[in-house]
Amino acid sequence: MILVVAEQRQGELSHTSWEAVAAAQQIDAPVTAAVIGSGVGAAAEALAVADLAEVLVLDAPALSAYTADGWVQALTGIIQAEQPTLVILPHTYQTRDFVPALAVSLDRALLTDCTRSVRRDGELAFSRQMFQGKLMADVVPLGPPPHLVTFQSGAVSADAVVKGASPAATRAVSVAVDAAAIRQRPEPAFQEARNAVDLSKAERIVAVGRGIKGEEHLESVRRLAAAMGAEVAASRPICDAGWLPMDRQVGSSGQTVTPTLYLALGISGAIQHVVGMKGARTIVAVNKDADAPIFEIADYGFVGDLFEIVPAMIAELEGEKTAC
Amino acid sequence: MERETLDVDVLIVGGGPAGLSAALHLARLRKSCGGEPLAIAVLEKSRESGSHMLSGAVFDPSALQDLLPDFEARGAPLGPSVREDRLLFLTEHRALRFPFTPPPLDNHGCYVMSLNRFVRWLAEQAEAEGVDVFNGFAATEVLYDGDRVVGVRTGDRGVSRRGERRATFEPGVDIKASVTILADGVRGNLTKTVLRRMRLDAASQPQTYALGIKELWDVPSGRLEPGTVVHTMGYPLRFEEFGGGFIYALTPERLSVGFVTGLDYRDPLFDPHAMFQRFKRHPRVAALLADGQLVGYGAKALPEGGWHALPRPYLDGALIIGDAAGYLNSLRLKGIHLAMRTGMYAAETALEALRTGDASASQLRMFQAKVDDGEVRRELYPVRNVHQGFGHGLLAGLAYAGLSILTHGWWIRDPMPGHAGHERMATVSAYHGHRAARHAAADVPIDRTLTFDRLTNVHFSGTRHDEDQPVHLLVHDLDLCRTRCREEYANPCLRFCPANVYEMIESPDGPRLQINASNCVHCKACDIMDPYQIIDWVPPEGGGGPQYDGM
Repeated sequence: MILVVAEQRQGELSHTSWEAVAAAQQIDAPVTAAVIGSGVGAAAEALAVADLAEVLVLDAPALSAYTADGWVQALTGIIQAEQPTLVILPHTYQTRDFVPALAVSLDRALLTDCTRSVRRDGELAFSRQMFQGKLMADVVPLGPPPHLVTFQSGAVSADAVVKGASPAATRAVSVAVDAAAIRQRPEPAFQEARNAVDLSKAERIVAVGRGIKGEEHLESVRRLAAAMGAEVAASRPICDAGWLPMDRQVGSSGQTVTPTLYLALGISGAIQHVVGMKGARTIVAVNKDADAPIFEIADYGFVGDLFEIVPAMIAELEGEKTAC
Repeated sequence: MERETLDVDVLIVGGGPAGLSAALHLARLRKSCGGEPLAIAVLEKSRESGSHMLSGAVFDPSALQDLLPDFEARGAPLGPSVREDRLLFLTEHRALRFPFTPPPLDNHGCYVMSLNRFVRWLAEQAEAEGVDVFNGFAATEVLYDGDRVVGVRTGDRGVSRRGERRATFEPGVDIKASVTILADGVRGNLTKTVLRRMRLDAASQPQTYALGIKELWDVPSGRLEPGTVVHTMGYPLRFEEFGGGFIYALTPERLSVGFVTGLDYRDPLFDPHAMFQRFKRHPRVAALLADGQLVGYGAKALPEGGWHALPRPYLDGALIIGDAAGYLNSLRLKGIHLAMRTGMYAAETALEALRTGDASASQLRMFQAKVDDGEVRRELYPVRNVHQGFGHGLLAGLAYAGLSILTHGWWIRDPMPGHAGHERMATVSAYHGHRAARHAAADVPIDRTLTFDRLTNVHFSGTRHDEDQPVHLLVHDLDLCRTRCREEYANPCLRFCPANVYEMIESPDGPRLQINASNCVHCKACDIMDPYQIIDWVPPEGGGGPQYDGM
């Protein structure tokens, strides 16, 4: 018997669970699926439309939120009780988190991120990519069953799932999950923002370059940016020196920006920087060197000392604010 | 840490003309013998085949004719055949044409081509024969069993600038082979370690190098007929410096313009990039480029030491071929055909090693026999002392080059003694004395139309590296840079690097060397020319580097 471990989040089956079922059905029948968690009856019923021997359900309060320890305990219990020959899982972030520990707990072989199953001389092998997909290796899991195999997302189409003539039976399994043995306490799920700042959406940008000389001078630049309602950005040397984080870098190795106003302070205008900001509607440049290439693309240029000009701009802008 | 291992029959490190010729020839030889196909792997650090390749290039097709006799039918991108050779001697304002073309510079029967397009095509031919070309994988370490080479390890991916593992971390792979062929190019990072460990160059003259800097230009049609090959000597170099300029017409609108300087100059303030800018400002060159547009930039070192500087190219389990060993004819300014030829010899040697099940040095010595009996020695031996002759200045070099045609290369002292280039560099005070030291670059105006600063030039190489990775230029003593080197040589790295990788930054704590590693175009000049030999060029994460197209 092949056991598929389905994945659900808040009672909803993941798409990759269907892919895992299809992968299992292509290997051999019968296929049994297991859904674990808390309040997963609906997910189990949804899964039952597939042509499965049965759907095992483990509903336990200790499994209300995902934890690696909880999942390893529960699945170890189910696998030991049901004695499948093969366990198929979708290769998701969650599976990657717990499946190595599950394999250790069972002391069984684990093959990850497979893309297909093949028969080689009567033996069941699984294909894995090597060298970033340049080669495929057919791998045969060794040792006593059950072998644990995870399938790459999208490797087998969910549309290939064979539906059953009638819904498969669901069966509640009793595996004790000891909440006290769970060492993790999950926080609510969140999605990390891709970039802390998205300069590409900024309306105004104050960018600094090597002319700023020292990290200590950034403070006045931040003040100016605040007074203008602008984001602070930089050319590469500033981020290289670690004075500003990499996500503030504009140019060919950073972000490409198109604000309505781009104020370039002490930026010479190397082509690597210019390709990232030349789409700005109005470019204002301040530089000591009248021959700096930034002046070739600036709409307004000040040849002068930014350490004089920046304080004057701050005074003007902040003074204006207090005046209103 | 567990690493994946891949076993192959023959592993070739470097997918240039040498490595790909070896792979292709081996696959075809095996097929013609009717054997089971061999597992042949080529490791190449560039993301796409050919994109780290740069040469003039005037191509001698003799090796290609033997490798793939039907190369024309297969659509080899060779470009126009050479229709005219011109050799010019430049003074600051004038150009004197040599009344005849010296025989080594007679390029009839050769082609003007883009090396990186040619290599891309060669990789396609190899892959069609069942060779696995692994692009984007840099070999970082040679694997030994005792003193026998058993394969290489590829670089880890996903390591942060501070050396920590990022979420994308993937350990490098060990690739093991019965025969490993090192074709990692001029000053190859693996060959360098193997030569050192196995002392393969103990009996050789020191290898000397030159640096080629090149631009591609689109110009109004008709400046030069396609297939025209122009070489220059003299200005802007002085008699004591080795090198010269080249202009090759690829199409009616596309010129390949470059300048080669010996990496054995004495003046620590000498600046190869500035020399190239000055060369373009010469009236004869500027006229060809007027109203044109820069479309590509790149740089690459080349081995110039010739026959006497070749290391022993065979050892237990491995062979060294192409530029990695130094198979280049500096008098003809050509090495691609010798790289390919040594690749073919290596393939024949490797096949015999597999057949006999013996890949020991005594078996692989067969490669040396092929070199000695064939075109490679026939071409390199007669000119074996010529480059060393130029070590005595342009006039002595020319005189000897002429004389050597009569003596078949013989000289009173044979081998003529040479020096490693970095050892010839003098200190600022020894060279310039108490005169106010004049930087060669000081009076070259940069107009960003005809002449360019390094940073702008680098943009046109398309070079890219993941920013969050360890610096791949290992400077072993940064303190020395700000103290001794600054005083003695005025930091020559600022000048010999054609890609603005090295910068001295004035900080409140005094000057400090900043390494802009992601500007690197993989030319190897720093590894070669640094007078203290404390710079080690190691491969960045696979896939990084220039993206040459048409170079």
